[in-house]
Amino acid sequence: MAEWPASPSVIGKRIPRLDGLLKASGKAKYPSDVHPKGLLFGAMLYSPHAHAKVKSIDTKAAEKLPGVKAVLVIAGPGTTLRYHGDDIAAVAAETEEQARDAIRAIKIEYEVLPHVVTEAQSMAEGAPVVFKGGNVKKGRSQTKGKPEDTMAGAAATIEATYTVPMITHVCLETHGLTVGMEGEKKAIAWASTQNVYGIAGDLAQALELDRGDVTVYTEFMGGGFGSKFNADVWGTTAAKLSKMAGGRPVKMFLDREQEHCAAGNRPSATAHIKMGADREGKIVSVIAEGHSTGGVGNGTNMILPYVYRGVPHYSVGQSNALTNRGGSRAMRAPNHPQSCILTEAAVDDLAEKLGMDPLEFRLKNLDPGSPITPIYQAEIPIGAELIGWREKRKPRGKTGTGPIRTGLGMALHTWGGGGNPGKQVSCTIHPDGSVDIKTATQDIGTGARTILAMIAAEMLGLQPTEINSLIGNSSYPPGQPSGGSTTTPTMAPPCYDAVTKARDALFKKVASAFNNARPEDLSLKQGQLWAGGEPVASWKEACRKLGTSPISVTGEFVEGLSSTGVGGCQFAEVSVDLETGEVKAKKIVAIQDSGLILDLLTWESQVYGGVIMGLNYGLFEEVVMDPTSGRMLNPDMEWYKLAGASDIPEIVVRAYSPPDEKGRQVIGVGEPPTISTAAAIGNAVSNAIGVRVTEWPMSPRNVLNALATASREGRS
Amino acid sequence: MKAFEYAAPTTVDAALKLLGGPNAAALAGGTDLLGRAKDYVTSPDRMVYVKEIKELDGITGDAKSGMTLGAATSLSEIVHHAGIREAYPALWQATSEIGSIQIRNMSTVGGNLLQRPRCWYFRAGFGLLGMKDGESLVRAGDNRYHAIFHTDGNALFVSPSSLAVALIALDASAKVRGPKGERTVKVEELYRVPKHEGESELTVEPGELLTQVTIPAAGKNGAYEARQKQAQDWPLVMSAVNLTMEGETISKARVVIYGVAPIPWRSEAAERVLVGKKFSPEVAAEAGTAAVEAARPLSMNAYKVPMTRAVVKRALIRAVQGKGYWEEA
Amino acid sequence: MTEQRPRDPGGLGGQSRRDFLRGSGVAAATAVLTGQATGVLDEAQAAEESAKVLSGTVEITLKVNGQERSCEVEPRSTLLDTLRNRLDVTGPKRVCDRGSCGACSTIVDGELVYSCTTLAVSCQGKTIETLESFETGEGSVPHAFHQNDGLMCGYCTPGFVTACKAYLDKHPNATEEEIRKGIDGNICRCGTYVGVLAAAKAAAQAKKGA
Repeated sequence: MAEWPASPSVIGKRIPRLDGLLKASGKAKYPSDVHPKGLLFGAMLYSPHAHAKVKSIDTKAAEKLPGVKAVLVIAGPGTTLRYHGDDIAAVAAETEEQARDAIRAIKIEYEVLPHVVTEAQSMAEGAPVVFKGGNVKKGRSQTKGKPEDTMAGAAATIEATYTVPMITHVCLETHGLTVGMEGEKKAIAWASTQNVYGIAGDLAQALELDRGDVTVYTEFMGGGFGSKFNADVWGTTAAKLSKMAGGRPVKMFLDREQEHCAAGNRPSATAHIKMGADREGKIVSVIAEGHSTGGVGNGTNMILPYVYRGVPHYSVGQSNALTNRGGSRAMRAPNHPQSCILTEAAVDDLAEKLGMDPLEFRLKNLDPGSPITPIYQAEIPIGAELIGWREKRKPRGKTGTGPIRTGLGMALHTWGGGGNPGKQVSCTIHPDGSVDIKTATQDIGTGARTILAMIAAEMLGLQPTEINSLIGNSSYPPGQPSGGSTTTPTMAPPCYDAVTKARDALFKKVASAFNNARPEDLSLKQGQLWAGGEPVASWKEACRKLGTSPISVTGEFVEGLSSTGVGGCQFAEVSVDLETGEVKAKKIVAIQDSGLILDLLTWESQVYGGVIMGLNYGLFEEVVMDPTSGRMLNPDMEWYKLAGASDIPEIVVRAYSPPDEKGRQVIGVGEPPTISTAAAIGNAVSNAIGVRVTEWPMSPRNVLNALATASREGRS
Repeated sequence: MKAFEYAAPTTVDAALKLLGGPNAAALAGGTDLLGRAKDYVTSPDRMVYVKEIKELDGITGDAKSGMTLGAATSLSEIVHHAGIREAYPALWQATSEIGSIQIRNMSTVGGNLLQRPRCWYFRAGFGLLGMKDGESLVRAGDNRYHAIFHTDGNALFVSPSSLAVALIALDASAKVRGPKGERTVKVEELYRVPKHEGESELTVEPGELLTQVTIPAAGKNGAYEARQKQAQDWPLVMSAVNLTMEGETISKARVVIYGVAPIPWRSEAAERVLVGKKFSPEVAAEAGTAAVEAARPLSMNAYKVPMTRAVVKRALIRAVQGKGYWEEA
Repeated sequence: MTEQRPRDPGGLGGQSRRDFLRGSGVAAATAVLTGQATGVLDEAQAAEESAKVLSGTVEITLKVNGQERSCEVEPRSTLLDTLRNRLDVTGPKRVCDRGSCGACSTIVDGELVYSCTTLAVSCQGKTIETLESFETGEGSVPHAFHQNDGLMCGYCTPGFVTACKAYLDKHPNATEEEIRKGIDGNICRCGTYVGVLAAAKAAAQAKKGA
C-alpha cells in the first residue's frame, strides 16, 4: 500500500502559496478580469418581485440601443418568477453601461402574485404556494427509544426555541464567467467556479457541443463556499449571447444584488428543543421539532442531536418551508453549523440547569460509539488550557457587576471530508528537468495548486517552486470539484501516484547512465539524483538523459493515502455590554484534527478563515426579507454585515496532531473549522449576560431583546 | 446609473449656474449620491462636481472664536485637525467613527450633512417614506434600524448624518447659497420631517449649495455611539452633547441623538434634566432616562430604547470626564 | 431635445467635431450614443470658463501608474469600471460596487479611495495608483502578504494590499490596533485577517528597518 514519506522534507512545512505574489500584486487574472479580443459586456435582468407572472416582455427598444449586440429572453410570457432576483432576460453590449441601459429598456408587464418570504408566512394556513403541492415538506425524522417517557423522568430538563437565520455565501467575485465561441464548433470560457471540469459539460450542453469542444479556464476564482458548482442560467445564457453575437466573447457576472438573491444561500434553522438529563449529567432524552427555509430550494437537514449521538432516547422531526426566495446551495459544511448551534445551545442550557460545568457535561456525553470521541477527549483539555477555562470561566450570569461582562463558551463539531476514487493527475518530466502536474481541479483559496506542487517536490527531491502545478483547465485529466473538504484528499493520492510512477520510470530509463546503477539503487533528494548513498547528478543532468522523450504518467487514486472523519472543538471569550448589547469577540481557540497536514501555512489559514467565517455567523450575518414587498432588504455589503479587521479577536489555532494522527493520512480541512465558532460565541454570550440569547446572530438587538424578555419574566 | 452630464466648476458662482438647470445635483465625495444613482433612487440629468472649488475647502478659525469648515472639506481633514480634536471632541469623535479611511478621504462636510437616509425601503425604490399601496412598508416590515421618535407619522427612516448630530450639539450654523443669494441657518434647520411622499427631509432647495459650516466656541462636548460592528458600520444609536458650565453647574445643555428619528433628534427632555445641576454620572443617567421617556418604538426596534438611554448617558460622561466607566482599563 | 452646434472639446483629449445632442433623460443619452457622438459641450460661455459640461461619451486621459492612458468614457463611468473595462487595469476588483467593501481601493493623488464610487471624469489630471505599480520585492507590502499568507481566494487581496500600503506610507509607526482601523474599510470573506495583519506588521517592520 502507498505511504507518505516518514520523514518528509517538504510536506508538513510552511510553504507560501505558489501564486501568492501574483494575487498580492494584482497581476493574477480572475475570470472577471480577462478581456479577450472583441469582448462584450453582459447584464442580467431579474425579477423585482418575489412572485409574479410575466404577462408580456418587449425587448425591441433594448435591441435598438447603441452598442447592444444580443438580447435573450429567459422568462417569456407566462413564466412564473418565484423570487426577487429570478432571471428574466439578458443583454450583451459593447460597454457595460450600454448593457445596463438595455436591461432598463426592456419592458415587462407583470402579474404580481401573492408571496411568502418568511417561514411564518409560508407555514400559515391558506398561504400562497410557491410550487403546486404546498409549501411545507416533511424532512427526515428519527425516533429512538422512548423519548417522552424518559423526558418525564429526567432529573433536569430544558425547553427552548433556538433560531439560526438564513445567510448567503457572499462570494467576493460574483457568480459568472467570460465565454466566447471559436468558430461554430468550439467554445472557450473563463469561469469563476469550484468545478472547472463539470462546468465545461454544462456549457457544452447549452451550446449543443461535445464536452471536449468547450475549454474552461479557472486559473483563479474569487470564492465559492459551495455555491459555484454549475454554469447556472447566467452562465449558459452568456454562452448563448456569445453565439448570437457572432461568437464574440461575453463577460457576464452578477451584480451584488442578484448574487445575494439568486446565487445561493444557507438555509435558516429553527428548532424547538426539549432536552433532559439524569442526576449524573447524562443526556437521556432529546425531543426536537425543527423547521427551516432554503427559499425555493432545500431547507436545512438538521442533525439533532449533533455530535452527541449516543443519547439513548430521542425523537426529531423537521420540515422545510418553501418561500419565494432564491434557492439554497451547499454552504461550507452544509447543515452542520446550524445543527451545531441548535444542539450546543441546548446542551449548554441543560448543563446550566444542572449546575454543571458545560465542559464536564460535554465530556460526559460524548458518544462512546464514535471513533471521534477519543479525539474530542484529547482536544478539549488543550483548548480549555489555551482559553483559560478553569481560571477565567465563571458560572452563567455570575460574571461581575459592571456593564461590560466577559463570558466563555465552547462547542464541538465533526465532519467527514476524505478522498474519493475516480479522479486523475498527470505528471510529465521533461528532458530539461521541468515537471508539469496537471489536473482539472481548481484552487478556491485553499492552496490546492501549492499542495500538488509540494507533493511532487517531495517525491522528486525538488522545491515546490520548481514544479509547474497546472490546474484550472477543463481539458486536463478529470479533477475534483472543490466541495466537502474533499479536494486535497481526493487529489493528493493520484498526484502521489503519478509522480512516484513518473519517478520510477525516470529511474528505469536513466539508471544505466550512472555507473550502470540499478533503478532500485536510485533516489532523489536535495535536487540531486543519488545512487547508493552518493549524489551522482543534478536533477537536470539526470533528466537530460531522457534525450528527446519526456516521461508522462497519469496517476489514479490509490488507497492508504487519505481517510475521513474529523472532530474539533472551539472556545470563545466574548465581552458583552449589558447597556448597549454590543458583543465583542475577544479570543477564539480552535483545536482541529485533520490527519496529515500537507502545508502547515495554508492549513492554518483555512482554520483561521473558518473561525472568522464562523464569527460572522455568530455576530453579524443574516438575510433580511421584507414580508410585504417580498424583497431582500439587505442585498449589499452594508446592511449584510461582515467582519472587518477591527472585529477580529485574538485567534489561537492548534492542529491536534499526535503521531498516530498523521497515520490517518490526508483528510481535508476546508469545512470543519467553520462549524462550531458561532455556537461557541452564542454560549459565551449567554455565559456573560446570564441569559440565553436564542436568536443568532448575537447582534445588539438580539442581546438587548433577550435581556428585556428575561427582565420582564423576572429572570434577571 | 442613468447617463448624465457632468461639469467640474472651480467657483461657487459657476457651480450655482450649473446647478440652476432642471434635475441637477451637486456631487462631492459621491459616497452617497453615486450609490443612489446606481440604484436608480436618484437619477440626476447633471452632476456638478464641487470638489474642485477651492473656496469650499478648508478649516479656519480657532477654539476661542469658533471655526469654519468649508463644505467640500473632507472628513479626513477634520480627523487630522488637532484644533478640532481639542476644541470639539464631539465633532472629532463623530467624524473619526464615520465609514472608513476611504469614505472619510472622499466624503465632505456638505455631502455628509446632505446625504439621504439609508432606509432600506427608500434604497429599494419605495420612496422616502417606504409606502406601497398607501401602507407603510416600514411599519409592517423590518424596521430594526428605524425611528423610535416621531413614529406616529409615516416618516420612519432615521436621519443618516452623525456629523449633523455633532454639529447641532455644537450649535453650528450653515451658509447656503442659491440663485436668490445667501442665507445662514442653524444646522438643525437643514432638516425637517417630511409630511408626505415627494417632500424632502432636507431644506436645502434644488439649485442651492451648502458652502460652509461655522461652529461657535463650545462647552464640554463629546459623542458616543453604539454599533454592531467595530469595523466600518453605521451607528445604531449615537449621541453628541455640549454642556456649558458655570463653575460646576450646567448652565446650558445640548443633547442630540442619531438613529432615533427622521431628523437629528434634539432631546429637550434630557437637556431639562441637566440644566441647573452639578454634573455627576447619576445626573447623566437621569438625562439618559429622560431622553427615552417619549420614545414610541416600532415593532422591531424596542432595543433602541435602552441603547439610547445608555448612549446619551455615556456621551455626557465622556464629554465631562473623558474616560467612561464602560471602558476597559 | 435641442441640437447644438458642434464644438471643439475644450482640451480634453482632441476630439474631432461631431454632432452633439443635448437634453435630459435616457432618451437624450440614447440619442447621443446612437449618433456615436463624442463631445464636450462648452455651455459655459455665460458661466465661468471652468464650467465645461461633459456629456455623451468623452475621451479622457488618466495618469495611471505613471502612464498617460487615454480612453472613451461616459461621465457616469466609474474610475473602477474605467480601469477594469477600458484600460485593462484589473488589480482593483468590483465586489460590492457601493463603497462598502474596499476591493476597489485605489490611491488617487496620494489618498486612498473607493474607485467604484469615484467618477473617472473627476480623476483627470490626478495621479492614480493601483497595486500593479507597487514594489513586490522583499520588504514590500505584496511580498509580506505572500509570505504571511495574507490571502486565500485572493479577490479582496488587491484592496487590502492597497489599503495597507496607503496606511503604512502615512503611518510607518502604526500599532496593530491602528493598522486594523486603517484597513477597516475592507472586507475579506475567506477570513484572511490574521495573515493580513501579520503581513501588515511585517511590512511595517521592514519599512522601519530599511
